[in-house]
Amino acid sequence: MRTDPDLAADAARGNDSAFAELVRRHQARVRGMSRRLTAAGGDADDIAQATFVTAWQKIGTYAGGTFAAWICTICYREFLQVRRRQRQEIEFDETAEIIPFDRSMADTGDKLDLSRALAKLPEAQRICVTLCVAASLSHREAAEATGWPLGTIKSHVTRGVAALRKHLAADQVA
Amino acid sequence: MRDEDTYADLTALFTAEDREHEAKPFVDQVIGRIRAQARIRKLLLAVTGLGGALLAASQLPTLLADSVGLDAALTTSIIQAQADAGALANANPLWLGIGAVVMLSLVAVAAMERT
Repeated sequence: MRTDPDLAADAARGNDSAFAELVRRHQARVRGMSRRLTAAGGDADDIAQATFVTAWQKIGTYAGGTFAAWICTICYREFLQVRRRQRQEIEFDETAEIIPFDRSMADTGDKLDLSRALAKLPEAQRICVTLCVAASLSHREAAEATGWPLGTIKSHVTRGVAALRKHLAADQVA
Repeated sequence: MRDEDTYADLTALFTAEDREHEAKPFVDQVIGRIRAQARIRKLLLAVTGLGGALLAASQLPTLLADSVGLDAALTTSIIQAQADAGALANANPLWLGIGAVVMLSLVAVAAMERT
């Protein structure tokens, strides 16, 4: 099986079939990540699509290393852009309810316990748990993706994981 | 023990959840968007190329008229086209601005997009 860097090199030469294979391999991770970052907001798949389109445009800048970390960094930046736009819209709309992100889907009853528990975490913890626990990035890769200090990432992951376990246990008892 | 080992069980749960959401239509949508952008880029490149070629052709009579001597009918039609374009710009200078903005946009898009 061809490695991610090989496929990325082919994609950088304009081979969209190679890129399609990369999308196939990483779509679950990226879609899951955008769902979790937005707390299952309706923009999740738009962010995931924008992530791959941006990745295609910037594939020439991929310099080896973990492709998953590279694509997750792009996904995180797309999420920040969407969140920034949403906040601007809320500022302009005086009648809008002030919410950190579109959580319209977060409270539906049919969602998995895991996602519901994750959505209850504070945003910084949710981001760190999403990157390190769900998307399997190392703490260092998550620090590079977010621009946050390594110690901050470790602290948020530790607290986030503890809170996640607590929420999951509470859900099971209930 | 590595930090990652302390939450390997949660990672497995997340991974299982992600697999449930894998979908072929998503891959098709992404690749469809990429191919649509490529088509638009090629069209823009063709238009800018054609525009550049026409611009270059319009300068040919001036460059070559003295030394080579072009076909009189061709030279006349090119000069006529130049005159028409000049008249249009004189009638409303806004056309020059619009033309410049369009050309700059096309050049920017052509330069930013991947081949």
